[in-house]
Amino acid sequence: MKKYFYTDGTNNYGPFTLDELKEKKISRETKIWFQELGEWKPAGEVSELTEIFKLVPPPITKTNLNYNSMENLNNQKPPKTWLVESILVTLFCCLPFGIAGIVNAAKVESRFYAGDIEGANRSSADAKKWTTISFWIGIAVGVIYLIVVIAGAASGY
Amino acid sequence: MDIRKILKWCIAIILVTILAILYRTYNPNGNVYFPKCPFREFTGLKCPGCGSQRAVHYLLNFDIFNAIKENVILVLSIPYILTGLVFDSLKKPNENILKWRKILFGRKAIFVILSIIIAFWILRNIK
Repeated sequence: MKKYFYTDGTNNYGPFTLDELKEKKISRETKIWFQELGEWKPAGEVSELTEIFKLVPPPITKTNLNYNSMENLNNQKPPKTWLVESILVTLFCCLPFGIAGIVNAAKVESRFYAGDIEGANRSSADAKKWTTISFWIGIAVGVIYLIVVIAGAASGY
Repeated sequence: MDIRKILKWCIAIILVTILAILYRTYNPNGNVYFPKCPFREFTGLKCPGCGSQRAVHYLLNFDIFNAIKENVILVLSIPYILTGLVFDSLKKPNENILKWRKILFGRKAIFVILSIIIAFWILRNIK
């Protein structure tokens, strides 16, 4: 019977049979040794152990926990505010949507620099929505206006 | 770039060129084919965007004086908007650009712009 050992880095544990080893809380990174292996290997690389890990999700790569700190925010680009587009809409479409877009742009900025990245992304999506809607309404009104004028001219007014 | 994106840009460039030629050739003032401002039609008051079409007409004819007379905000906003578009298009801006972005397009700047637009809206109606 094959005997397995595992180590937590300082102490070695074992010998265990394969079934005993399965009861231990080992992870993919836990170093394993048995006689045929020659040297310590991560459990994830040992073929007969892979079935233990089938139900265990792979480890999450650690995200930087200081992500939200002020210093880091100043080095990052906030989400798109749609400010420029909103100003253009205000100047050309004559619609209150442009003003709404500018207010949303301010929300993106203040939320982002307050560390609320998710909220900033939401406001950015809102700003995009309103700018797009007002852009198309502006185009539609222009086209309808033109059709009405041409139809009027054609019918002799 | 995929073909759809290129096609989109081509259509946009063609449309803008056609519009530029139309706006350069015809003065929207008194011309029925140019859309009127609905806000002005209903209330009789000018909105912050009123005069933009005429201002564009004068700008395309290099008549900056008349363009400013029609809508000063539009003329003043052009360099600002171009800067903003360049800043937005940068994928990985360096620290310096981010600093300027915050000054020119940050929260405080946005409130200044909003105040200018609203003040302009009121002033052009009481003058």
